[in-house]
Amino acid sequence: MPRTSEKRTVDMQVIGDWVEPGARVLDLGCGQGALLHYLVQSKQVSAVGVDLDFAKVTACVRRGLCAHQGDMTRFMRDFPEKHFDRVICSRTVQELADPAAVILEALRVGRAVTVGFVNHGFWKNRLNALLQGSKIRNEVYTTEWFESRPSNPVTVLDFERFCGAKGIRIARRAHLAGDWRTPCAALPNLLAGYALYDLAR
Amino acid sequence: MTDDQENVTPAPETARHLAPGDVGLVTPRDFVHREAFTFRSGQTLPGFTLRYETYGGLNAARDNVIVICHALSGDHHCAGWHTPQDRKPGWWNNLIGAGKAVDTRRFFVVCANVLGGCQGSSGPSSLNAETGRPHGTTFPFVTIRDMVRAQKLLLDHLGVTGVHAVVGGSMGGMQALQFAIEYPRLVRRVLAMATTGRESAQAIAFNEVGRQAIMQDPAWNRGDYQRDGGPRVGLAIARMMAHITYVSDASMDRKFGRRKKDTAAPEAYTFDLQFEVESYLRHQGQSFINRFDANSYLYITRALDQFDLEEGGLTLEQAFAPVEAETLVVGFTSDWLFPPAQNRRLALALLRAGKRASYAELATDLGHDSFLLESEDLYALVRAFLEREGTEPVNYEI
Repeated sequence: MPRTSEKRTVDMQVIGDWVEPGARVLDLGCGQGALLHYLVQSKQVSAVGVDLDFAKVTACVRRGLCAHQGDMTRFMRDFPEKHFDRVICSRTVQELADPAAVILEALRVGRAVTVGFVNHGFWKNRLNALLQGSKIRNEVYTTEWFESRPSNPVTVLDFERFCGAKGIRIARRAHLAGDWRTPCAALPNLLAGYALYDLAR
Repeated sequence: MTDDQENVTPAPETARHLAPGDVGLVTPRDFVHREAFTFRSGQTLPGFTLRYETYGGLNAARDNVIVICHALSGDHHCAGWHTPQDRKPGWWNNLIGAGKAVDTRRFFVVCANVLGGCQGSSGPSSLNAETGRPHGTTFPFVTIRDMVRAQKLLLDHLGVTGVHAVVGGSMGGMQALQFAIEYPRLVRRVLAMATTGRESAQAIAFNEVGRQAIMQDPAWNRGDYQRDGGPRVGLAIARMMAHITYVSDASMDRKFGRRKKDTAAPEAYTFDLQFEVESYLRHQGQSFINRFDANSYLYITRALDQFDLEEGGLTLEQAFAPVEAETLVVGFTSDWLFPPAQNRRLALALLRAGKRASYAELATDLGHDSFLLESEDLYALVRAFLEREGTEPVNYEI
């Protein structure tokens, strides 16, 4: 199995551990529905995904998932408070035009919000910037800047500061080392390759 | 639905009805219901006829059924050819057939002309047995729900025990949604495209202009006319106007632009035919009056206007409360008759009501009739929705 998909699996397993069986789950930026499909299989969740792309929605429908093509913030506006047990924003938050608005709206429609992102404060990423002086390219970020979607290089420190400033309660956090597998016990902003947060209001 | 003669290529040497995947030659049949039928209006008929076609085979469980619901000017002939000499196949021939998105090797496809229609089903142009004359406007008022109830009686007659999916665009989408509300235990999937839960004022307004064109034609005679007569001018104008609402500014401009007919008079200051688009619309009007009944046009547009899932102060969520089917709603970006927002709204309400629902939006510039589009993207979506297995657990692989 290539390393990228191995990393994806780890990401899924952590999120899967946090999801309550049978929960009503919304995945923002669901792509082809791999994560939701995994959660349906492993946790029997009732799943809805949102994505901008017709082909991705088609892929979700083919997997038996409910998917909605459109803007995620606009989608959430059409739902009452706490309609979803959990809203997931996995490796999406760094690409959002207005991440604060999305996360706050997710906290309105969801009882819990899971956010997962690649930590750009990870020492290798820092070193890369320092020594290469170029955009990160690795097994996760495989593309050149000119063929990549705009992305905020968010760090663990940045994210926790944001939560503090907005009064968002961090119910759980998982910091994973550079292999995205081993728990990272200390200095997460420097030593964690991937970070997951379970948020509540 | 548009009636697009310009795009039809002349018959090639080989018989087109034998093209791979086509359902081939098909024969319509009549279902005659011999018991009294009470319409939503309270009016009754002693019985009715539905003309229908089927493609593919019914399985042993009699539940591999896909019901196709047609739009305002459509009919039961949605796939295949009636004769090898036919100018065109059924209206959804691109979607339905062996190995196509609606796969007749797998599904038993049923499509009936709606109650109130004029292609063989009971409607204002069919004969009233008591008078020996067409019903005309004495025919009971028809609603979308009446159309659906009549089709359910056809399904009962065919011994259908379960419906895999009800599929329709525009008015067909309304029927598909109504099917799921009316018969939740029967319908497992609903695929509704380019549709709405209630028409906007603009859509009602267009229908009213069409009705006025018909009713202001002296030949309408309050709906009392013989089959070969009637308000032909009014019906043609209604069709010309409606046709514009089925396409888009961009698609008309691409197709016609400001091109002039070869036969156009060199003198510009005349009301004679000048532009190709005028010629096209006149053709649309003329071909329509040869196949459609003006009173049916009044009845069916009225049914469209009156369809309102939120009638009586219901919310859409309340209207969808009985639904057990999984629903896929498809909107088209250039549809300005039943715009994407109205389609999207249906899927959102189903989700809020706790139902399984998806929404996809196809970027096209062909307007409302985009649901008839030859699009591999659309086929892939339809096939994905119809053919995927249920949500029971399977071994997970990335």
